[in-house]
Amino acid sequence: MPHQLGVTIQAPVAAGRAAELRAWLAEIGRKGLAEGPFDLTRCHGVHFAKLYLLDEMPDLDGRPIPATLVFMSEVDAPLHRHLAELADLAAEGIDQAFGHCTGYPGPGAGRRARIAWLRRHMIPASAFYVNTVGRGLEQIRQEARLREALEDYLDQGDWAGRAAAEIRRDLRAYVSRCPGLAWAMKPPPPPPLRFRAGETVHMVAVPLALTLLLPVLLPVLPVWAVLLRLDERHDQPFTGQPTLRHLDEVASHEDFGTQNPFAVVGFVRPGRLRQLTFRAVLFLTDYGVRHIFNHDSLAGIKTIHFARWVPLDGWRRMTFASNYDGAVEAYNDDFINIVWWGLNATFSNGMDYPPTRWLFFGGAKLEEQFKNTIRCHQVAVPAWYAAYPELSADNIENNAQIRAGLRGDMSPAQAERWLSLL
Amino acid sequence: MAIKLDLDDIQGLIARGYSGLPHARFTIFTAQDPAAARALLSWLLPRVTPAGRFTGDSALHVAYTAAGLRRLGLPASALDGFTPQFRSGMTGPDRSRFLGDTGESDPRSWDWGGLREPPVDGLILWYATTAEVLDARQAELAARLDAAGIRQVTVLDTLELGNNEPFGFHDGISQPVIGGLPKAKGAAAAGTPGGRVVPAGEFVLGYPNAYGQLTDRPLLPAADDPRRLLPPDPAGSGAADLGRNGCYLVMRQLEQDVDGFWRYAGQATRRRDGSDDADARTRLAAKMVGRWPSGAPLVKTPDQDDPGLGNDNDFGYYHTDPLGLACPLGAHIRRVNPRDSLDPQPGTGASLAVNDGHRLLRRGRSYGPGNRAPTAAGPAEAGNNGHTERLARDDVAPGSGTGLHFICLVASLSRQFEFVQHTWMNNPTFHGLYDDTDPLTGSRHPRGATFTVPARPVRRRYHDLPRFVRTRGGAYFFLPGISALRYLDQLPADARSASFSSSVTR
Repeated sequence: MPHQLGVTIQAPVAAGRAAELRAWLAEIGRKGLAEGPFDLTRCHGVHFAKLYLLDEMPDLDGRPIPATLVFMSEVDAPLHRHLAELADLAAEGIDQAFGHCTGYPGPGAGRRARIAWLRRHMIPASAFYVNTVGRGLEQIRQEARLREALEDYLDQGDWAGRAAAEIRRDLRAYVSRCPGLAWAMKPPPPPPLRFRAGETVHMVAVPLALTLLLPVLLPVLPVWAVLLRLDERHDQPFTGQPTLRHLDEVASHEDFGTQNPFAVVGFVRPGRLRQLTFRAVLFLTDYGVRHIFNHDSLAGIKTIHFARWVPLDGWRRMTFASNYDGAVEAYNDDFINIVWWGLNATFSNGMDYPPTRWLFFGGAKLEEQFKNTIRCHQVAVPAWYAAYPELSADNIENNAQIRAGLRGDMSPAQAERWLSLL
Repeated sequence: MAIKLDLDDIQGLIARGYSGLPHARFTIFTAQDPAAARALLSWLLPRVTPAGRFTGDSALHVAYTAAGLRRLGLPASALDGFTPQFRSGMTGPDRSRFLGDTGESDPRSWDWGGLREPPVDGLILWYATTAEVLDARQAELAARLDAAGIRQVTVLDTLELGNNEPFGFHDGISQPVIGGLPKAKGAAAAGTPGGRVVPAGEFVLGYPNAYGQLTDRPLLPAADDPRRLLPPDPAGSGAADLGRNGCYLVMRQLEQDVDGFWRYAGQATRRRDGSDDADARTRLAAKMVGRWPSGAPLVKTPDQDDPGLGNDNDFGYYHTDPLGLACPLGAHIRRVNPRDSLDPQPGTGASLAVNDGHRLLRRGRSYGPGNRAPTAAGPAEAGNNGHTERLARDDVAPGSGTGLHFICLVASLSRQFEFVQHTWMNNPTFHGLYDDTDPLTGSRHPRGATFTVPARPVRRRYHDLPRFVRTRGGAYFFLPGISALRYLDQLPADARSASFSSSVTR
């Protein structure tokens, strides 16, 4: 199975065309990205995709930042296939969207020019979280079908008085004899060796490099901590409140099903200390999501399918975007109750964040300030695509466990436990 | 917990559900004329019952919508301090989608508070010892409203308070115990998961909430309160605290299809030969609720009702029933109050602490035609509690208007009421489920709703559950502290209608 990529394509909107683009996005949003002109269902391996518009605004020094269109997709590797399919199958949508942007070659352009332009406007994420690395779109869909078939099969039978192990045998036999399900008796193939080897090297190399750097880091870290704490002492409580209009605009694109898109944008705090801290924290976040939190849970949160941190405008701004289950209130509560420390370590390097102490403490724990800052910086996602909108991340993991339980021997207790997944 | 609640300033409804005042009537009103709205408040103010010691034969409470506060002359700058949900109201299309008020529950079809007419202004709640006292109080109120030209949008009658809600289940057993009230001391000493003391700030603004913080509330510049009517911001900002000692009041008229519910339970549990299985019917209904009709929790007595446990609230889920074999994961009471089953550390105090942030203080009363026969008093067939008898008498016809005037009090509409409604009750993937919403009270999705009953060796799924509860009306109100009512009463004094004011007896 392939690994997953977070593709971000960002481009400045041509002067004077933002309003037109906003109207177009609203129109496209109503149609959805599963239909023309995008029809992402035809592109391979697209789990999610979104388009959102960042308004024109002055930066912290008063220099104007033009309105910016952001396209994001969470997609199975390889990248070249995805870009080629965007340029071929979703060409009409890509042309219409980025046709509003400065320097786009235009509808008449050939596919190579289109792909080249997309590549030029791709920006890397500093960290990209995948709920379960290597679980491809096809696998998610197959395993959902498997579970439905088994549930239907169970609905039709009379199982009273039968032992769990016996029922499991029956279900295994059913799967084996269904031509459309026989694949389920084998484990999903892992991502390609090359990818796994690269990840292993990264997993070892980073701690190794940090260990080698320890003689330098050890004396620097206390100084950094004191400087940071001194900087934090200037923190002011966040007193901003989102306007009803802003809340309504965001809400009009939320809560249509099990999952939601999420996007926030904000300025990175100026000054070398915070710029450096932010990069260092995101470097460690990248390590964490690749090697520690790479299966089923982001440090305890099990409702996130994908998430990414992407610096914009040469680290003047940062956007965080995700696809998650449930509503934003519950999402924020999870942030506050479960990963407050992670939120603080990253977002406290941005403007308007509630005051923190020693990078990790305070911040998100100030509930109302935190929720207000999130709501104020949230960006409406008018156009969104979700390939399996009815499945929660929890469902997807459960489906995978159902499949895994078809293989091998089980004790009666294990068989009973496995049956309770259904 | 060293919180001292200002009981003389808090409306009594927060502290008590008035079990001693079993008769209640709720009046929803709209005043066209600001002067009339203010005059009404002047009349109500001395009659509002505070939360301190109570001995009377009746109690009165008043709550306002954002439109009602605006009508009283509260400026936009002050209104902006209220939570966005309160300011927007309950009926916008995005909010309706969020709350599950779609299809037959669409606010376009509501009897009151919906989109067919302008937003209502406020809610007056009268509680009384007897029907006679209630009638007298209501008549006085009605006369006052008539005289002022204030429109009674609807007057909602309630059934005499009993133990059971209209589906026939003992209700109102699990209520959060508010820290700072006298009964919190006993509950804290008992230390049971059901009788958990929740910080006062979850239900009364201006006190520390479950995070130990003060929930956002309207604060006014001290200059806007020259007579110092309002309490000061306890955070010490120097602002006048319009929110302190108040809370948000959610009211929803929830029509219950009692007949449909028991008919469904009966049909789904018929024997192979087509005959009715009364025990199985009650068992399925209990599985949907999570308690037996007596109130006995399924986690304590999974196989049969045990009226001796009818008030039992001393249980969790994670250690005794993690898979939902006794009480299904999707059962009503397991959804609206999951207790210790929440991530990331189910079964621990950390899980209960997360749960504390999503509690509702319920103050609803049932409504319906005529005098409701106490269900347990009928010639109760085993495990049925007389439902079929009652239905056979045809006195609870579907659509005849039986249900619950749901009222809950919260400090945060979004983290408490709306969260419970969306993330727990109407969420098809709650607790690892796929297509289930609350079997009893939930909305239904276009692709249908399933009710999954975990069992050994194999779970049982009930497909295409009908919707048993429909929203017929509703609004978000603010239940102000008494100082805040006093403040609103003198807002802006110059605009007051002199003629009406002089006729007001204080």
